[in-house]
Formats: sequence, C-alpha cells, structure tokens
Amino acid sequence: MAGITFFHYIHKNTILHKMDCRLKLLCLILLSLSAGFATKWLHYFVIICIITLAIIIARLPIAALLKDMKFFAIIILIVFISNAFTIPGEQIPNFPISNVSIQGITAGLRFAGRLIIILMICTAITGTTSLMALKNAIEWLLRPIPFIPEVRIATIINLTFVLIPLIFDNYVEIISAQKSRCIQLNKNPIRRIRLITLPLLSQSLRRADEIAYAMESRCYSETRSSYIHKTNKIDWIILGTCLMILIFALFL
Amino acid sequence: MPTLETKNLTHIFPDGTIAIQNISLQVKPGEFLIIAGANGSGKTVLIRHLNGLFTPTKGTVLLDGKAITANIVEARKKIGLVFQDSDSQIVGQTVAEDVAFGPENLKLPPHEIDTITKRVLEITNLTALSTQNPHVLSGGQKRKLAIAGVLAMRPEIILFDEPFTGLDYPGVISILKQIINLHKTGHTIILVTHELEKVLAHADRLAILHKGQLMEIGTPKEVILHSKHYGIRMPLKNNEEIHLMTWLE
Repeated sequence: MAGITFFHYIHKNTILHKMDCRLKLLCLILLSLSAGFATKWLHYFVIICIITLAIIIARLPIAALLKDMKFFAIIILIVFISNAFTIPGEQIPNFPISNVSIQGITAGLRFAGRLIIILMICTAITGTTSLMALKNAIEWLLRPIPFIPEVRIATIINLTFVLIPLIFDNYVEIISAQKSRCIQLNKNPIRRIRLITLPLLSQSLRRADEIAYAMESRCYSETRSSYIHKTNKIDWIILGTCLMILIFALFL
Repeated sequence: MPTLETKNLTHIFPDGTIAIQNISLQVKPGEFLIIAGANGSGKTVLIRHLNGLFTPTKGTVLLDGKAITANIVEARKKIGLVFQDSDSQIVGQTVAEDVAFGPENLKLPPHEIDTITKRVLEITNLTALSTQNPHVLSGGQKRKLAIAGVLAMRPEIILFDEPFTGLDYPGVISILKQIINLHKTGHTIILVTHELEKVLAHADRLAILHKGQLMEIGTPKEVILHSKHYGIRMPLKNNEEIHLMTWLE
C-alpha cells in the first residue's frame, strides 16, 4: 500500500496543496464535465496540457505516477479495443484486421482520452488534498442538505481510509502466516478463502471496536470544532481557468 | 484526598466471566502507580474503567471525590488513556491531524488547536514528522504519537496500557524517558505492565492483580518480593536495590 503513489496524498507546499478544498472539488467537477463535452482533438490536447501543468506545479512524482498507471492501462486498452471493434463505419484500407472502422478507432481514442483525463484529475486532486481537508469540504458541502448527518458521513469516509491500510497489512500478515504453514498444499479454494476471510474479518472487527474505544476515550462526538475554510485570489483564478476550459470545450 | 479512587469495582462480562472483582484502590495526585499482573489478570479492564469506557457491574470510579459518570467528558479530559495497540488509537491522516483530534472534539477554537498541536509535537519530539502519514511510522514513533494525542487533551492523570509492548531497546528508552518527564511535570501516572524490570525503579507504588483481584498494593520494595506467586517475573537479583534497576543512564 505504502509503495503506491496513485490516489495518495503527497505533502508539499504548493499553491495547489494550499488551495481551498471546496473550490478544488468544484474544479474537479468542471474539468470532468469538460472531458465529457470535449469533441475535438484540440479540446483533449488543451485539457491534458492544463492538468499536466497542474501536476508539475503540485510537484507530484510524475515518473512514479506513470509507473502506477500500468494498473489502469489494461482498462484503457479494453475500452479502446471494444470501441474500435464494435462501432460500425468505414473500413481502414489495407488494414489486416476486418471489423475495425475509422469511426471505431476515433471513438475508442476519445473514450480512452476521457479516462486518462479523469485519472489525471483525480491524481492531481488526491495528491494535493489531505483526507482531513477533503472530509471538511464534504462536511461543508453536505451541511445545507436536510436529514443528512454530514459529520457522521465525513467521519465514516475518514475512518475507511484509516482502516484500509491496516486491513491490508493484516491480510498480508495472515497470508504469510498461512504460507509458512504450507497453505498452498491445500487445494480446496473455498477452504482457503474461508481460512483467510474469517481471521481477517474477526481481526478487522476487533480493530474497529478498539478504534471506537480510542475515539470515545478522546471525547469524540458529532459536535466538534468546525474547520474555517479560507479562499484566496489564486484559488479563484484556478477555478476561473477551469470554467474557461469548460466554456472552450462546450462552445469552441 | 485521592485524585482517583475505585470502590468495590467489579466487572462481569455477559458470558459470566469475572474480569475484575471488588477492586478498591486510591491514587494520590502526582503519584506514579504501576499495576502489574499476568495475562488475563484484568489489568486492561481495570484501566478502561478508570477512563470511563466500561460500565461497572458493581462499584464506582471516583475522580476528585465525584463519580466519573457524572461528567464523563470532563473525566476523559482529565484522565488520558494511551492504548496498548497504538494503531487503534491513531485516527488522523497525518501526525499533526491525529494530535489535533482530541482538541477538536473538545471544540477548542482553531488557533488554540494549532498552538496545542505544535507544543505537544515539540514536547514529544515529533515536529519533524508532523506531515507524515502515521501508518508509515516505526513502533516507537507510533507509541509517541499515541502519547502526543493524549497530551493534547491536557490531562492531569495519564493511564498507560502496556506501553513497552513490541518496542525495541531504543524505543523502550524513549517512551520511558517520556513517561518519567510527564511524572516530573506533575502528571499522575498509572501504568499497567507485566515487564516490571523496565519501569519499577521509577514508581512510587506497585499493585498486583491476580485473577481479577487486587492481591497486593504498597511500595515496590514491599510488594515485589511476592510477585512470583502471581505469575510475574521477579525483576531483581539477590539484594539488588530497586532504584538501581533503571534502564536509563
């Protein structure tokens, strides 16, 4: 878990790290819409250039991110191939494989482009936003909605992210302990799954119980100090840029 | 007047297991009390009662003469608990966020939370790690962070549940120094352990729990001689003075 850079917060002191998370979430929405409405190659080129620039400004480790991209490369490839083969249209002259149309390849490239853009936006947002800031922004955005326990939802999101690496560590520990006792010789897959799932579940529940006690011990309640959100001129300029990109993708 | 007191404290689990039975003890302000006992002797259950996390089947826990249940938030503010498993205590995404968790619960204003967090990180030598993800810290650093999280609540009494478990030699020394400094700065310390050799030299009193009952309580010199009867290793060699047993230079 610790070795993966994708979708992980990386602490730096840049304008994007300091940006108000509420506006950052609005930027996420605007850029995602821009990717959805993009029709020309120029649109894709401009959006990718802007997000790449954001990643450079945020000083995120581009080489490590590209390496982690391989996890998503297969999905992007599947999207491209399925589009290329299923969308009917003009055949490519002298191309050895039939059923591949020019329109299919174009649509495949567009879908792949959109996926890449969304992955890049998420990387830029998660890499520059701590979970606590994200939690506070979600809490703020949910506050006006009636009957929604915004503090509880935000705490659940926070605790989920705290527990995921711990559960993953537990899983690795259980697998290693079972391998050391030759679990691989047991050919029954259902029994093997059961032998891993039950201790993992029991340990995770015990851990959740302990976390609940620890939070109670530190006086946790749903009425806590509220976070003061601050915006500055640069934050609004970044939001304005994202809005311009959406207008560009929609009308130009 | 004792700062913390238990009267006939009894805890019986729903399956009928008696965890602790009729425990009555008094802790004076500024005292350093060690509660020792073998596995399953009821140490953790007792310490959780002292923090108001469990409801007694019988008996009471008093803080400055009043039942802690009368104002549980105030009691938890005054009595901090450092859990045995630091991972369970850490809820923040960065070291600083975790330290700020308690003061945020106390609804302190943001500038005060910031000041407290910085001061506590400094006291626990964690300032350089303030932006780190707690998950990647070493065992000793995680234990320090757990202590920092409790210190941020500005408690008068600090309870430690097996603070040396799983730590290497430098880790034990670092946590031991921290505990002794807290005692020197006026905090009341109640420490639960079965590893007496690491800390007994610095304690004022020693209590021994056995099968949920308080068997002995007194100065370490009086009580230690009976420790082996209750499944606790006698940490002294023949005629060795307790204060010479310290792990610190």
